[in-house]
Amino acid sequence: MSSPGVKIERLSSEQCTTLHNASLEILAQTGVRLHLDEAVEMLRKAGAQVSEGNRARIPASLVEWALSTAPKQIPLFDRLGQPAMLLGDRKNYYGSGSDCLYIVDHRTNQRRRALLQDVVEGARVGDALPNVDFVMSMFLPSDVDPQISDVLQMEVMLNNTSKPIVFVTNEFAGCVDAVAMAEAVAGGEDALSAKPFIACYINVTSGLVHNEEALQKVLFLAGKGIPALYLPLVTAGMTGPVTLPGSMAMLNAGALVGVVLSQLKREGAPVIVPGCGLTIIDMRTMVNPYCSPDGKGMTHAMSRHYGLPNFGLGGGAESKLVDGQAAAEAALTLMSETLNGGNLIHDLGYLESGLSGSLAQLAICDEIVGWLKHYIAPVAVNAETLMLDLIDEKGPEGSFITHEHTLKHFREHWYPTLFERGNYSQWEKAGCKSLSERTSEQVEKILAGDVKKPLPENVVQSLKNIAQKVVQ
Amino acid sequence: MDLKPIYKNVIEGQADAVESGVKAALAAGVDAGVILNEALIAAMDEVGNRFEDGDFFVPEMLIAARAMQAGLALLKPHLTAIDVQAAGKIAIGTVKGDLHDIGKNLVAMMLEGAGFEIVDLGVDVTPEAFVKAVQEGANLIGMSALLTTTMSNMSATIEALKAAGLREQVKVMVGGAPVTEEFARSIGADAFAPDASSATRVARQLVA
Repeated sequence: MSSPGVKIERLSSEQCTTLHNASLEILAQTGVRLHLDEAVEMLRKAGAQVSEGNRARIPASLVEWALSTAPKQIPLFDRLGQPAMLLGDRKNYYGSGSDCLYIVDHRTNQRRRALLQDVVEGARVGDALPNVDFVMSMFLPSDVDPQISDVLQMEVMLNNTSKPIVFVTNEFAGCVDAVAMAEAVAGGEDALSAKPFIACYINVTSGLVHNEEALQKVLFLAGKGIPALYLPLVTAGMTGPVTLPGSMAMLNAGALVGVVLSQLKREGAPVIVPGCGLTIIDMRTMVNPYCSPDGKGMTHAMSRHYGLPNFGLGGGAESKLVDGQAAAEAALTLMSETLNGGNLIHDLGYLESGLSGSLAQLAICDEIVGWLKHYIAPVAVNAETLMLDLIDEKGPEGSFITHEHTLKHFREHWYPTLFERGNYSQWEKAGCKSLSERTSEQVEKILAGDVKKPLPENVVQSLKNIAQKVVQ
Repeated sequence: MDLKPIYKNVIEGQADAVESGVKAALAAGVDAGVILNEALIAAMDEVGNRFEDGDFFVPEMLIAARAMQAGLALLKPHLTAIDVQAAGKIAIGTVKGDLHDIGKNLVAMMLEGAGFEIVDLGVDVTPEAFVKAVQEGANLIGMSALLTTTMSNMSATIEALKAAGLREQVKVMVGGAPVTEEFARSIGADAFAPDASSATRVARQLVA
């Protein structure tokens, strides 16, 4: 007898159908702007009407076909070829984010431009934290040529973590190089497509405007059988209606374009739809916040409506520091993502609405995720958990602490690593440290250790060679 | 004639009511300069104050600016050069390789509200297109970028302006998430604006 679990459904099934139909109407009536001739041609051949050279109006039948062929579950492996994640349903996996311009250095608490060494450390901390399931680059290094930073980020991640990697590249060429690196690690193209341990996060300009490199990437990855995360961004009140369903319909229309193109390229190609991207710009500051409660869960409901895996967002904060606000925002967003069924939940460790990141904040998110995993775990009510015989044996005044049953099970409950639970004098004796101080120490401890599973030397060299070719 | 209703309608963003108020005031023989200063500009000053205080949000400010512009259009034929000074003509665009225009559009709207003439070059704007806009009379250029990979096209534009012999006659301001004061200085821009509301202040200083 298992409990129903803790979960949230933000939209009803009828509402999802209405939103789906709204997206179909947008695709057929308004159409989308596609900045890649190849994509326009593929859609035209498949029945889309094209005007103004690159504005495609896509029929509902084509969308429905693509939804029927896109895979409902997508496995991702680790770098060593072991199963790591099975994306779909309500399965939650957590990871860092990509490309923060700044780092709030846990050693100094100062905000500075990020360096390639920060990407190294981000990958190593992500690799070590037990509740981080996948790794992203976290930072955009300012000490390397911006045109090739993506390839160097990929090299660094492959060298410093064996967990699945979600990567981002600037231009299309960087995506090709990043995949070549992963193939070198896996032992060839077929080996990688059989057991992909990378997925590419593709930023799409907006629901109805699709940039050239996004389209190039989704087609290329579909051909390779590597999971593509196709993420248009719609900002309610700016690039879409301020009322969220209108913007959601636009975002979803854009996501469906990605699904259609990937399936036209190759039926059954793995494509992941938005669990984020519906943003509500702050009309006072014009900052695009990461923690708005208003639209949370709508994208997840739509992804479940389609039965397709989603790319969620949680653990990021608007706060500029690793402080109370940052911890509260991380906790609230990680909880809502978890309960709404985010699959690949990214941006753990972000601060400043995505402009800076912190390894200490990443570790705090790891702690919060640990809590959440225990919170959503189903409760088993049965003889072994009720223990009526034991209750009767002990009687009204009984003590259970030394019983074998206690010894057997007490470690099943959640215990904090970073959150402080001692009494006052214990805390005082340990130096009266705040959460952020304790966390910085933990991060330092991780960084003092070795890379757990380094790549073989010949593979390290072939990655170097690929990077070297790009540098030239 | 009481100009208070025009003042109030600008603040509330009621463009139609501002237009009819301005028409009525002109018909009643009120001096155009007085209408401009005591109703339209005074109202926008109040809108600015309310924004600074956090009472007004950006859409309210933009809609008030639009109402002000509607009134100003009716006043223009009646104003002398002394009454109204064109704030400047700014050519604005997102640089080559970059399609992100939310920030750029917002800055354009804010500057328009502040009385600038806007030439919106759109997104993915080449250095040549900026040069052409300066040749056609822009005295200020605003460049936006969201991507670190396209930021370098800001300096390409400045170089193109130099090559065309136009750099001395135009002010260049830059902005966008990855852009910093330091970067702006390093490429030889005249100014950096970290956000849309400060862009107006920076632009005013540049053309003052």
